[in-house]
Amino acid sequence: MKSRKIYNRIAVLRQERGLTRKELAERIGVNFQTVGYLEREEYNPSLDLAFKISECFNMPVELIFSPKPLKPLSEEIMELKNKFKGD
Amino acid sequence: MENQKLRKQNKIWISINYLSLITGILLFYIVKNHHMPLTILWFEVGIIAVLLVSFYKAFIITKFWKMVHTSSKDLDEREMQVVLNALRYAYSIFAIICIIIIYAFAIAENQPIDVVLAGGLLYFAHILPVGIVGWNEKNN
Repeated sequence: MKSRKIYNRIAVLRQERGLTRKELAERIGVNFQTVGYLEREEYNPSLDLAFKISECFNMPVELIFSPKPLKPLSEEIMELKNKFKGD
Repeated sequence: MENQKLRKQNKIWISINYLSLITGILLFYIVKNHHMPLTILWFEVGIIAVLLVSFYKAFIITKFWKMVHTSSKDLDEREMQVVLNALRYAYSIFAIICIIIIYAFAIAENQPIDVVLAGGLLYFAHILPVGIVGWNEKNN
C-alpha cells in the first residue's frame, strides 16, 4: 500500500530551537539520518515517533504534521486566534 | 552538493566491489578451463586487494554493513524498514542468480560447483542487502 505524503514543520521548529539534527535525533531516539529524511518529507513517521516529536517541541501533533501542505506557523496561529475570536 | 558527491562515491565503490568479485571468479575459471599458466592467478591477489579496499570504502566506512548486520533493536523505525526491504530484494535477486548458476553448470556438464564459486556466492549473499541499502540510502 502506498501511503500519502505527510507534510511537516520539523526543519523550521528544529532551527527555531537551535538544535542540530544530531541533537534532535538523540532526543527522539532515532538516527540523525532519519531526521534528514523526516525534514525532507521523504519518510512518514509512525504515530509513536510523531508523538515523540510533538513532545520534544512541546506542540500539538496536528501543528507539526499535516496531510496538506503547511502554511507558515505564524499564519496558522493568526488564523486560530481569529477563529477563537469569532467563537 | 556534498551529499550527492558522497552518494556517487558510495555507488562507485559498491560497483567496484561487485565487479572485482565477478572478475575474480571469472579469472579463476578462465585459467582453470583453458589450462593457462597458474602465474596468471597472481592477478587474483590484486583483485582480492581491490575487493577488500572497496568493501572497506563502500560498506564499513559508511556503516551500511553495521546497519544491515546489527540487531533490529538497535535500529530506528525507518532503518528497520530500509533493511527489511533490502533483505526482501536481496533474497529474490540471490535466488534468481543461484538458479541461473546451477542451470549453467548443469548445462555445461563439465564441472561441479567448486569452493571458489561457493565462497563467492556466500560473500555475494552477505553483501547484496548491504549493497542495496548503500545504493539507495542518502547520507543525511
